[in-house]
Amino acid sequence: MSIQITRPGKNSLILETPVMPAAGTFGYGEVYRDLINIEKLGAIVTHPISYEPRTPTNDTRVIPLDAGVLIHTGLPNPGINKVLRQHRNLWTMLPLPIIVHLIADREDYVRKAAARLDEEACVDAIEIGLYDDITYREAAQMVTAAVSKTEKPLLVRLPLQDAYEIAEAVRDAGASSIVVSAPPRGTARDPKSGRLITGRIYGPIVKTMVLQVVERLAKRIQDVPIIGAGGIHSQQDARDYIDAGAVAVQVDSITWISPPELEYIARDLGGWIVTRQSGALPDEWHHGMGDTEKKATDKPTSVT
Amino acid sequence: MNVSEAIIERIRQINAGYQHLELAVDEPLQKIKPGQTLLVRQTESWHPYLREHWWTVGVREKRLIVERPLDEHYTPSQVINVLGIVGQPYRFRRSLRNVMLIAHDTAPTPLMMNIPWLLGNNISVTLVLTGEGTRYPTTHLDERVEIIHGEPDFTWQDQVMTIGWADQIFVVVNPYDEISHFKEIVERITDLRTIIPKNYLFGVFRPEFACGAGACNACMIRTQQGTSLVCMEGPAYDLTQLIL
Repeated sequence: MSIQITRPGKNSLILETPVMPAAGTFGYGEVYRDLINIEKLGAIVTHPISYEPRTPTNDTRVIPLDAGVLIHTGLPNPGINKVLRQHRNLWTMLPLPIIVHLIADREDYVRKAAARLDEEACVDAIEIGLYDDITYREAAQMVTAAVSKTEKPLLVRLPLQDAYEIAEAVRDAGASSIVVSAPPRGTARDPKSGRLITGRIYGPIVKTMVLQVVERLAKRIQDVPIIGAGGIHSQQDARDYIDAGAVAVQVDSITWISPPELEYIARDLGGWIVTRQSGALPDEWHHGMGDTEKKATDKPTSVT
Repeated sequence: MNVSEAIIERIRQINAGYQHLELAVDEPLQKIKPGQTLLVRQTESWHPYLREHWWTVGVREKRLIVERPLDEHYTPSQVINVLGIVGQPYRFRRSLRNVMLIAHDTAPTPLMMNIPWLLGNNISVTLVLTGEGTRYPTTHLDERVEIIHGEPDFTWQDQVMTIGWADQIFVVVNPYDEISHFKEIVERITDLRTIIPKNYLFGVFRPEFACGAGACNACMIRTQQGTSLVCMEGPAYDLTQLIL
């Protein structure tokens, strides 16, 4: 099964499975290789990368919440050149598309970084992450800057707030697909220091917030594929995003809590999309089913 | 790193504040070394959301012994989901005769797995408890361990002499604002000792982990060489090699 997750065109991105890890939850593709059969994923979205190196924040980074977590890291990374040097071989070797997540902090940096990534054969697509208080004009400028320097598919990850207005702007600017959304921002009191910390919120509750936006955007914007991202913690959560109009999903913090769940979601949704079209029973795979059993059903009939 | 399950086989109260859980684990986890930890999850619900960080204090007959506060409730035969092993073992010098373990404003649990190994290799151990660390009951420890109770301001009797004797020091502090605490400790040790050699003063970092596997970068610290992820390359760092 092939699923096109970008606008049609000569450089569209086609995945085998409509499931990928969200940026910032899966490292650069090397982290969970012992725990997950990554061939079952549709693509890998890398850790956020900036044009210049960024250092970690000195403040509290992780605040546990009721059924969730707030994270504030400052998006540390060694910069695009060093990341490419360190991971180019791995990305070339991995048997699935690599989507590099680019932090869209400055327009000139986005332009330079897009041009740099355009030269890399191991990079299949670029996802730019817009900052939270960006205006729709600035968002369009960021996308235009990237599109002007790369022919690779350009996914644009929206902030949850003002998603409707920004989605239309980035569509008009040439986004290949829209990722809804970045984890929403929140503020929580750090129980250790007593200080209020602002960061991104992860947890099952996020799905409820994002799903509504995906559903409304899918009705409003029909010429650009939408990728649902936020709070997916089960196979049913992922199916809900597809039902709401997304063509694919990005799975975030459940990978930290239970890494195999990412593979289960990918295998389930990959099969469900096929069977849904033909009206067949959807549960042809479950995580209790071992590989041996799966292989036995796949085995071609021998001719004697 | 792999995902597996551990079974609590035995629970023993070891002193007035702590209990030891004996865990039956898969063979790969039995190879855990001092400094390495387990990321565990006890519940199927989403609260608590993140995995907990469990420190092993010993291995006995293929069972891991984990130290937990006494006010936490566990039952024999309880099954624990484990993601591990996390981190790198502590690095000891080759010519080691005296090791100082310091717990400042916290329990010394992350350092305890060192003690049997060090004593077994005829290396003397001094355990210094300062501030809140003095509340840690020590009645269960081997009598060969020298125990010093210090003051809340990170001072103790004969401090210059004891630090001078130590070939290596490992320090654990209250996880709240670890960087500031370690910075103060480096300044204090610098006052007490003219030169701090390389691989002498180690801080054991215990940040709140989101992933514990190197995927989220939430535990990144700055070093003289660049950056490092505590969950992958820690928990112990030469404090003189960090940018605090």
